Amino acid sequence: MAAQEQENLDSISSVSPAVPPLGVAPATAPGNGATAPTRKRLRGLGKWVARVTLAAVLLLGFFLSVVPLGRATTRAAILVPGLLSATQPAPLVVAGEEISHTSITISAQNGPVFLDVYAPTSAPALVPGSREAVVMVPGVGDNRTDPQLINLSESLARAGIVAVEMTTPALIGFNITPADTDAIVQAVLFASHLPGVNPAHVGIVGFSGGSVMACRAAADPRIRDQVAFITLFGSWFNAANVLRDFGQRSVTVDGQTQPFHPYATAIKVMATIVAGTLPPAESTKLLTALAPGGEPLQHPEQELPSPGAAAAYHLLAGDDPTHADANIAALSPALKDLLTALSPSDFLDQIHTPIYLLHDHNDPAIPSVESGDFAAALTQMGHKHDFVEFGIFHHTEITSGFGLGPLLADGSQLYRILTKVASAGA
Amino acid sequence: MLLLSLAWVVLGVVIGGLALGARLLPAAWKLNEERRKWLIMPGLSAGAALLGGWLGTLIWGRLFGTPTALWVAVLVVALGPWLFLRLRARIQRA
Repeated sequence: MAAQEQENLDSISSVSPAVPPLGVAPATAPGNGATAPTRKRLRGLGKWVARVTLAAVLLLGFFLSVVPLGRATTRAAILVPGLLSATQPAPLVVAGEEISHTSITISAQNGPVFLDVYAPTSAPALVPGSREAVVMVPGVGDNRTDPQLINLSESLARAGIVAVEMTTPALIGFNITPADTDAIVQAVLFASHLPGVNPAHVGIVGFSGGSVMACRAAADPRIRDQVAFITLFGSWFNAANVLRDFGQRSVTVDGQTQPFHPYATAIKVMATIVAGTLPPAESTKLLTALAPGGEPLQHPEQELPSPGAAAAYHLLAGDDPTHADANIAALSPALKDLLTALSPSDFLDQIHTPIYLLHDHNDPAIPSVESGDFAAALTQMGHKHDFVEFGIFHHTEITSGFGLGPLLADGSQLYRILTKVASAGA
Repeated sequence: MLLLSLAWVVLGVVIGGLALGARLLPAAWKLNEERRKWLIMPGLSAGAALLGGWLGTLIWGRLFGTPTALWVAVLVVALGPWLFLRLRARIQRA
C-alpha cells in the first residue's frame, strides 16, 4: 500500500493525458516538423513556467492580503491610478467597498465646521477589526464640490478608509487663521468616534493653506499623541519667508535665484491674512488693490498709514523687490505674530506624528523650496518624515498632457506616500 | 458582489489551467471518462477561488478578496491532490 501511495504521489507531476506518452511519440510531430526531444523540452519548459507563475501568484496574493504592509500596498496600488486619472477606475469600483456620503455640521470655538463624510457602508473586516480615517483640510475657498477632491474622498472610502473632508467659514472666505485650529481638532475627534474607526488610526491630510492648519491641529495637546500621521501637499514652512518670496518675486534654490510669480489666489490668501491685522478701511483698500484687475495703490504709504501696512502691500504687490527684507522687518508686530503662529517652523517640535510632504516642483502658489526647508528641518530633528516633489501637479491638482514617463515617475512617488498613509490602518 | 464572485471564478479557472500546464493533476485519479479529468483542476481551482474570495472579504475586507482568492486557489490546486492522495492511502491502509 505504501508503494502504491508513493507511486501515486510521484505521478502527480508526470502525466499529461492530452499528449501521447513520450516513449511512443512520433519522432516528428505532424505538420510542424518539431522533433520529439524538442517537444519534450518545450513541454518541460512550459511546466516550469506554469509552476513559477503559480508560485509567484501564491506569494504575491498572500503578501497583498495577509501581511499588513501588503494590504497597505494593495490599497495604494488601487488608489494611484484613480488619483492620477482623476477618475475611479473599474477595478476600484468593482473590488472596492460600497460607500456612502453624509454632510454634517459640527461646532468649534470659531464657529461651524462643515464636514463631508465618505465611508464604506459595510462593517470593518475581522482583521484588523477597525478602519483608518483621514481628515482632509482642502485649503482655502469652497472646495466641497471640487471633482478631484470628491474623487479622492470616494476612492479612499472604496479602499476602506473613511474620508472626512472639513472646511470652515474662514477657509471658505480665503482666510487662514489660528482660530480655526479647534475646528480641525474637532473634526479629528469626530472622525475618531465614527463607527468602526480606530481612534489611533486617524490621520490629517492638508492641501495648500489647509496644510498649515493640519500642522497646528497636529501640534494641539488634545490630539497630538493620537494623530497617526499628517500629509501636507503644497505647504509652507515659514510664512514670513513665503511673504519675502512674494515680495522679491523670486526664490533662492540651492544658492541660485529663480523667478517666482505667485498666482492670484495665493496673493489673495496672503492679502486676507494681512488684512486681518489692519483697520477695516485699510483692509478693504489693500484687498481691493490686490484683487485680480484691481487698481494698484499710487501712494501706499499715505493710503495705508498703519505701521507696516504699506510694507505688507509692497511685498504682496511685488512692486519693490529690492527692499523685500526691509519690508519684512517693517511689518507690524501683530502681523509678525500672526505669521509666526501660521508657521510650522515655529511649533515643529510640538508635532509628534510622522509628516509626509508633497509639493509641485513648479508650484505657482507656495514655492517648493518651502517643503524642502521643512524636510531639512525634520531631518535635522530626526523626525520621521518623507518628502516628494512632483511635476504633474499644478499646486495640488493633477494636470493632464504629461507623457508616460513623468506619469510613471510621479505615480511611483505618489504610490510610496500612499503606502505609508495606508499603513496606519493596515 | 456577484460581479466580484464571477471574477474570482474566472481567475480560479485560469489558475486551474496553469495547474494543468504545471502538471499538478495526479495521474492516479481514476475517473470513468478521461475527458472529464481535465475539468478537475479548473473546477477545483474555481471553487477554491470563490471560497477564498469570500473568506478574504470576510477576514480582511472586500478589497482583499481578490488576492486571497488567488493564493487560496493556488494553494488548493498545489496541495489538494497531494493531500487527497495521502488521505486516500491512509484510508485504504486502515
